[in-house]
Amino acid sequence: MLKIRFHGRGGQGVKTSSRILGRAAFLDGYIAQDSPIYGAERRGAPVVAFTRISREPILERGYIFDPDIVIVVDETLLDDERARPLDGVKSGGIVFVNTQSEQAQVENVDDKLFIKYSITDAALRVIGKPIVSSPSAAAAAKITGIISKESIIQATIDELSELGLAEEALERNLRLVSEVFDTIPTPQLKILNGETTPREVIQLEYKGVIYEDIVNVGNASLRRVGNWRIFKPIVDYQKCTGCMLCFVYCPDSVISLDAKNKPIIDYENCKGCLICVKECPLHAITAVREVKIYA
Amino acid sequence: MSETRYKTLRDVPAEEYLLPGSPECAGCGAQLVLRIFLKALGGDAVLVNAAGCLTLLNVYPYTPLKLNWMYTAFASAPAGAQGIRDALDILIEKGKITPKEDLKVVTFTGDGAAYDIGLHAASGAIARGLDFYYLVYDNEAYSNTGFQTSGATPFATSTKTSQPTTLNPIGHEGVKKDLFEIWRSHKPPYIATIAPSHIVDMLRKIERALKYRGPKLFIAFSPCPPGWGSDTSETVRISKLAVETGVWPLKEAIYGEVRHTFIPKVLKPVEEYLKTQERYKHLFHPRRQEKVIKTIQENINQYWQKVREKEKLE
Ligand code: SF4
Ligand code: SF4
Ligand code: SF4
Repeated sequence: MLKIRFHGRGGQGVKTSSRILGRAAFLDGYIAQDSPIYGAERRGAPVVAFTRISREPILERGYIFDPDIVIVVDETLLDDERARPLDGVKSGGIVFVNTQSEQAQVENVDDKLFIKYSITDAALRVIGKPIVSSPSAAAAAKITGIISKESIIQATIDELSELGLAEEALERNLRLVSEVFDTIPTPQLKILNGETTPREVIQLEYKGVIYEDIVNVGNASLRRVGNWRIFKPIVDYQKCTGCMLCFVYCPDSVISLDAKNKPIIDYENCKGCLICVKECPLHAITAVREVKIYA
Repeated sequence: MSETRYKTLRDVPAEEYLLPGSPECAGCGAQLVLRIFLKALGGDAVLVNAAGCLTLLNVYPYTPLKLNWMYTAFASAPAGAQGIRDALDILIEKGKITPKEDLKVVTFTGDGAAYDIGLHAASGAIARGLDFYYLVYDNEAYSNTGFQTSGATPFATSTKTSQPTTLNPIGHEGVKKDLFEIWRSHKPPYIATIAPSHIVDMLRKIERALKYRGPKLFIAFSPCPPGWGSDTSETVRISKLAVETGVWPLKEAIYGEVRHTFIPKVLKPVEEYLKTQERYKHLFHPRRQEKVIKTIQENINQYWQKVREKEKLE
């Protein structure tokens, strides 16, 4: 049985990725199972989804602790204490990371193979939006080495039409899926003894989690939700007149004002909604593709 | 109107009570409303919240809020407010806190709690004349659970439970409840509608409400990017369009007397507003549903015609 685990953030659609992959496997004659997990949080929070693919009936259920393949749809999760996407990957397993790399790069790290490629940039190029759900499924399908291109395309059509995607958007998704499938290599999975990387158990410091943390008002800034960003707002201080509009309309209170009422953006927690970019009357704020991890 | 400390956006108070790092979606209109609302109220407030999106502000062990916060069941936020108000009154009476240390009791819930599940609790609290604030962040559906129809969902909206189909291409066939009027029938001292695009209007209304004892109620237009299918950057724009097309009237009622705080000179066509959101996409694709769009427009026109006639009479 092949076990694939997807890690993304709420809104990126890893649930859809796992479904497309499962359906593609099914179309190729395998038995497949997929399921997502998400907590009580909104867009941007770490989300996990699973696909199991097998020739035999699948009796295993629930969380995949020992994946053969891990797909990290959002690389900022690599440093996220709550997500820990590399936990449990089998030795000889493969990790795909959606990173800044324009070309597919393959490298060995310890006993695992890392494939790095920017499906976000591919999506921005082909779809015009950072849609990463269908291309993640395509990357996973290719890496498994057992799923055909026809099936991944058909599965994308089936799943996305069920979600009510318009024809034109669907067509672009298919172009992207096809491109990603062709770009990603199929390396050999070299799982020898089924050994997995030991899971690191986090020791919570007793003192740290008792109520003093909770009365520590406003401590949410420690969460550093700046990682959710795909585009980063950058202020051109030459153009800015200090009209305060961006400060007023930022829903996340991450803009403060200096003595001249010019905005200072706290990038550790700016979610990149880009309201400030839209509302600035002087177009003094521009959106720039994010390249840094803030975790 | 009377004296106000809020003349332009420059007068928005700098102090933040909702700090960065919340788990709410990027571009959340509800959070923007709450942030500004708290700025206008000041720091001497205690919050009571019922189940909904903004409940997630406080996910253990983090909180972006500087204020105390109590969580109640879906139906009972106004009842929670009653309890806190009573406790504060008793503490003052017994001399355990001075009247200066008193707190404003602020309930905030989504439209699900306000229009449906907790409607009775609010009605009871208003009828009892409870001295509290109630802020409804109205995103016109149960967004927290994935955008199902609520009592606040407007006619012809597509939600998870009112998907347009071949048999019913309209989407939601019911109408949005008029919570403002339901509340107004109780004749509380203050009710207002507010929108996150019209910040000065919002601040002035909160400022006016501060003067009254008893229920002070606010219904806030709250764009919700994932539920409405709008771009996160469009939140303020959509709110502005809602006001300018007349979809979201800005008004207040003092002891039941209604006054509109903004009357659009010319209404922009409602289409301009509808087209910003995927939840209305079925009205334009694959076929334009002329009749439905016309019905929506006519309802808005009728509303404003009545408002204009009344203004003229006065
Ligand atoms: S992008 Fe959004 S969160 Fe970031 S500073 Fe601008 S308005 Fe605030
Ligand atoms: S909205 Fe634009 S001009 Fe105004 S303060 Fe912000 S950056 Fe400066
Ligand atoms: S679902 Fe809508 S209302 Fe809820 S947090 Fe997200 S944007 Fe805000």
